Amino acid sequence: MSVTKRPKKSRYLIPIFGGMLLTFKILLKNLFSRKKMLTLNYPEEHYKYGPRFKGNHILTVKKDGSLRCTACMLCATNCPANCIRITADEHADPNVEKYPISYEIDILRCVFCGYCEEACPVDAIRMGPEWQTAALNGSNFVYDIKHLAHRENLKGGVQSVVDDKERHKAGI
Amino acid sequence: MKKMIKCTINNYPVEVEEGTTIIQAFKKLEQEIAHYCWHPGLSIAGVCRLCMVEIEGNNKLQIACNTVVQDGMVITNQSQKVKDTVRWGLEFHLINHPLDCPICDQAGECVLQEQYMKFGAYQPLMSEDKVKKRKVVDLGSKIVLDTERCILCARCTRFTDEISKTKELGIFNRGDRSEIGIFKNKPLENDYALNTVDICPVGALTSKKFRFQQRVWYLKKAPSVCTGCSTGCNIDVYYNEEGLWRIRPRHNSSINQYWMCDKGRETFKHVNPSGRLKSSFRHTAEQTEKMTTFQALQTLKLDSKKIGLVLTGSYTCEEYDAFLDFFQLHSIYHWKNNPKNFEDYDNFLIRGDKNPNTKGLLESINKRQLKLEDCTQLEQNISHLDLLIVCAPENHKLYPCLEEKINLFLKSKELVWISPHSHTLLQKPINTVWTIPSKTYFEKTGTFINHHGTRQKIKAVASIVDSARSLEEIIHILKTGQTDLTQIASIRDKMKTNYFMEQKGSL
Repeated sequence: MSVTKRPKKSRYLIPIFGGMLLTFKILLKNLFSRKKMLTLNYPEEHYKYGPRFKGNHILTVKKDGSLRCTACMLCATNCPANCIRITADEHADPNVEKYPISYEIDILRCVFCGYCEEACPVDAIRMGPEWQTAALNGSNFVYDIKHLAHRENLKGGVQSVVDDKERHKAGI
Repeated sequence: MKKMIKCTINNYPVEVEEGTTIIQAFKKLEQEIAHYCWHPGLSIAGVCRLCMVEIEGNNKLQIACNTVVQDGMVITNQSQKVKDTVRWGLEFHLINHPLDCPICDQAGECVLQEQYMKFGAYQPLMSEDKVKKRKVVDLGSKIVLDTERCILCARCTRFTDEISKTKELGIFNRGDRSEIGIFKNKPLENDYALNTVDICPVGALTSKKFRFQQRVWYLKKAPSVCTGCSTGCNIDVYYNEEGLWRIRPRHNSSINQYWMCDKGRETFKHVNPSGRLKSSFRHTAEQTEKMTTFQALQTLKLDSKKIGLVLTGSYTCEEYDAFLDFFQLHSIYHWKNNPKNFEDYDNFLIRGDKNPNTKGLLESINKRQLKLEDCTQLEQNISHLDLLIVCAPENHKLYPCLEEKINLFLKSKELVWISPHSHTLLQKPINTVWTIPSKTYFEKTGTFINHHGTRQKIKAVASIVDSARSLEEIIHILKTGQTDLTQIASIRDKMKTNYFMEQKGSL
């Protein structure tokens, strides 16, 4: 821990003028070259985060458009915030066997740690680039399958790297 | 008495009976040993070759399950030679095993998974493709088979051959195409079929009812006694915050060994919060009044009334004692689930008496030299009674005569129905009906006496319905008029906090 001594009372005007100098320097700089300005006009302009940014979750889909998730519950088990809730059921296709009939993420409880993404054995859940999670109603923050996999800005869903048919062909 | 012989296992000296196999000696010492095909309740097959041990003076490794301990044997399974053999044995088992643990229902309690994490966890050396076999094979109304996951330990076929003696399962085909299966038009439908799911060391056999319901690592388990019939099988109840999920047998060599019947496995649903009676009610022809159990017992005036008492065998001995001591009646009516096949027995576990504690009821009544009358006598006497108290069965499904008997009870001037569940017939009565919620076996501490007269203690695991009271607590309220039951040490010790929630908190 570092301890700083307070400046003596008689000298407090000097730092104030120093601060004002800095403020005016930046003000004048921004006034004359607006392109180099650091702040954003937020609702109109957006900051672009890197590709590894961990934002809102995406459930990936297979080539036929069905969910990749096998409802193994490893993400829910690994989740430190306990915000994932899955109900599994029997799938008609014996090669798929198990699939989620409901998959809910309480995004207000989520801490965006990315453990779900890491626990997933089949690349079924990813953390996407979205980060604006405004909603009018509290219940809108519980994301269901429709939102997680098929929301509009995903444009038909994100395809999973591992696909069932390829997996079976490879003999795994 | 058998001769005791000495041997040394992993440097620990141990004394065992003559004729004991090495694996039993390992279990006695609580030393870890890998095994799939060996099960203490079944015959020895010796097919998995994983329980290898090194015996001093013996060049080759031996399987522990089929080698008898001899005097002065020095046995180990900690040597590098044994570990290598187990590792290679495991590699062979995993040649065609899909390792689909994430989808598999057995994950978390799978012996193969445990062994793989311990000895395996390597890149397989097999270059050939895995043999594809049938998945999700329907074996009947209870069980689903996955032949890919099966490691052919033959525990299930030995079970149907030796224990249930129905012989439905068999191993078909040869080599890497061999698989477990059933014969044509002969589904696995016997009364003990679900035991094969328990003994399956991998996820090849799964119960249709429990399949995909819960991951096993979310469940806690608690020991209890099955209330499905008077055999009193020892069980483990698996539960979490949302309720009870399944029942599995617990070993008891004098009662159920390692097994239990399929009907007993379904005796947990009535304990779950949905469908339970959540508070006391006073139903009359005109209205229904909701009240707490305490209020109901306070407004219920018992003085100078002619009381009739109907008891069933689903309460604990302590509850009967408290009840009979309080009411001081000369005759009690005994409500049997089905008088015709009450004495039935299938020569293994299932009995026709569907109550856990009929013996306890008879004992409490004989101790006080009371008269036990059948429900048929109640039909004649019911018009003379002012108040009829019915300690109804815990699990209504086991009583086929339920509606008929309720109609009989409703003829009384005033009826007190003590049970974890209500019934639609009770809600629109002609006279007054009180319904008071009582506790189930999961929530109370007490003693059950099974058909053979064995006393078995059960312990309260958690409280599920807060307003439910055991008969002991009801008597205590009637006696003292005290709401706070935590004041009494004997009752406080048996009370548990509510662990269950009906809905997960959400927005």
